[in-house]
Amino acid sequence: MSTLPKPNPLPREIAPGVFWLGDCLEQHYKGKLYHSYNAAFLVCGSEASMLVETGHPKDFPEIERQMKDILSEPGRAPLKYLFITHQETPHSGGLGRVFERWPGITVHGDVSDYHLAFPQHADRLFSMEVGDSIDLGDRKFVAVEPVIRDLRTSLWAFDTGSKTLFPGDGFAYSHYHWDGHCGLVAEEAVSLDLEDVLAVFAERALFWTTFTDMNLYVDKMEALMAELGVEVVAPTHGLPVLDLKKTMPKVRDGLIAEGDKVPANDPAEKFRRPEELRIH
Amino acid sequence: MSFSAISELSPGKVYALHNTFELNGHVSAYPQSARGYAASNCYLLKEDDGAILLDTGYAVHAPSILGQLETLIDRDTPLSVFPLRLNEFMSVCNVMDVARNFNVVECYSNVPEIESWIEFETVDRDAPDHPNVATTLLERGDFCQVSIGKNHVIDVLNAPIRLIATRWIYEPESKILFSSDMFSHVWHDYEEGPWVLDGLDNVTDEAFVRSFLLNTRYWWIEGATIDSARRNVAKVFEDYDIETLAPGYGTILRGRDQVERQFTVLDNVLRDLDRSKIKPQYVPRGLER
Repeated sequence: MSTLPKPNPLPREIAPGVFWLGDCLEQHYKGKLYHSYNAAFLVCGSEASMLVETGHPKDFPEIERQMKDILSEPGRAPLKYLFITHQETPHSGGLGRVFERWPGITVHGDVSDYHLAFPQHADRLFSMEVGDSIDLGDRKFVAVEPVIRDLRTSLWAFDTGSKTLFPGDGFAYSHYHWDGHCGLVAEEAVSLDLEDVLAVFAERALFWTTFTDMNLYVDKMEALMAELGVEVVAPTHGLPVLDLKKTMPKVRDGLIAEGDKVPANDPAEKFRRPEELRIH
Repeated sequence: MSFSAISELSPGKVYALHNTFELNGHVSAYPQSARGYAASNCYLLKEDDGAILLDTGYAVHAPSILGQLETLIDRDTPLSVFPLRLNEFMSVCNVMDVARNFNVVECYSNVPEIESWIEFETVDRDAPDHPNVATTLLERGDFCQVSIGKNHVIDVLNAPIRLIATRWIYEPESKILFSSDMFSHVWHDYEEGPWVLDGLDNVTDEAFVRSFLLNTRYWWIEGATIDSARRNVAKVFEDYDIETLAPGYGTILRGRDQVERQFTVLDNVLRDLDRSKIKPQYVPRGLER
C-alpha cells in the first residue's frame, strides 16, 4: 500500500519564481521505509521559464499538471528551456515526454547521451559548460561547477534572480514520511537526522563518497556557494535548504561522516569539523 | 546509421548484440577526448525454455536490436530482461519496446514497480499497445542467483567497484563475466570494430587504464581508500574461472591470458591510486589526466 502523501504538498514556491515540483518516492533501507524526492524545479523569469530536471519517470503526469497550473497563472513567461544536471534516468527520464508536451522547448546542459536515448530530438540539444548562461529576462540561469558528481558529465546550475543553487545529487538525502517531512524544507523538518538520511543515498546512489575524503568536496562546495552568494539550495533528492547558516553545518557533518574520514598516509590529518560556518 | 552485428560467444547459448556509436565527446561512458567508435553490447543468453537479455541498449539502436533478437528467439520465447544499471539509458532505454515485440515475462530489478522507472515515452499507460512488465525483485546483498529458463543458474554480483548501482553477471558454462561498464576501454577507429578480440589487445597497459578510469567514471579514486574495493575485484578473478570479459561498451575480450592481463592491470592501477600511495585532491569537471 502506497505511503505517498495525499494530497501531494507540492508544488511549493521555495524562492521568488522558483517552484519545487514532483512527488515522493518510497525507499526501503535497513528495515525502514524512507521517502525521497526526484524533484524538478520551475524557474520563472520575466521573458522565459526554465524547467530544471524532468523528475522521475513515474512522476511525469504529476509534474506536468503542476507545471501547467503554474505556467497558466497571469504574467508567467512561457516554458522555453529545460536544464538537466546529468544523464541518470531519475533526473532525465522524462525528457521525451517533456519534448512531446512542449514542442518548442530546447534542452541545455551537458547533453551527452541524449542523442542516443532520444534520437528524434537530437536537434534540440544544446551544450553548456561551466560559466555559460541562459537569459530568462530578469534573471540568468548559469551553469556552475558540479562539485559532487554522479557522472563525469554532471553539471550544476545557479539562478541569479533568487540566488538558488541547483546541485542535482549534491545534497542527496531522504526524509521521514513518518514524521511528516514530505513537502517541508530542511529547516522545517526538525527531526531530520541528516547523517542518517545522507547514508541512504550514499549506499544506493553515491557509492563513491564512502571511499573518499569528503572534506575536499565539502570545502570546495562551500567555497563555490560563497563565491556565488547562494541563499537557497534546491536539491533533486533532498529537501530544499532555505537557511544555510542553520542547515549547512549538518550537511557538512553528514557528508563527511559518509566519507572516509582519516587519510591513511597522513596520520596527523584528523577528521575536521568547521569551527565556524563558512557560508556568508 | 550505425554498424550492427551479432557475435556468437557460446554456440547456441550466448550472443552479443553489437550496435555502434560515435565517440564525439558526448558519451558519458568514455573520456571527452576519445574519438572513434564504440559498441553498445547487449547480451542474449538462451536455453530451450527461455532466455535472458542483459541490457536493452540505446533507443537509437532499437530497430536494430529488435531485429537482432528476432533472428535469435521466437516472439513467444519466455524472455527475462536484466538491466545491469537501472539508472542508465543504455541499460533500460528499450525495455518497453522489447516488451511490445517479445514475450517479456519479467524484468529483474532492485526496486519494485520497475515499469514506473523505465517508461520514458508513453504518457498514457492505458494505451492499447502498452505492455505490462512484471518486476522480479533481486535479493538484497552483494550476491544472488537467477536462472535462464528453469534450470540454468547464473550468478549476479554487485559490481565490486562502481560509480552508480551496477551488477555484474557470471555465466559458468561459457565462463563469461558480463562486466557492464568495467573493462570497456578498448574502442576502435572504425565502426566495424573488431568488437570481439581473441588474445591480447594493443592498448591495455597501466597508464592507459588509469587514464581511462580517471577520465570516465572514476575521477574520485585518485587518493581514495579503495583497498577494499580492490580486494573485492581480485576476489572475483580468484573465485570465478573467467575466459571472456563481456563489457556493456567496447570490445569483448577473450582468452584466459587476456582476462588475467586485464585483472592484473586493473589491480595494479587500483593499488597505485589508493590513498596509501597518493594524496587525494579535488578534481574539477572536465580535467583529463
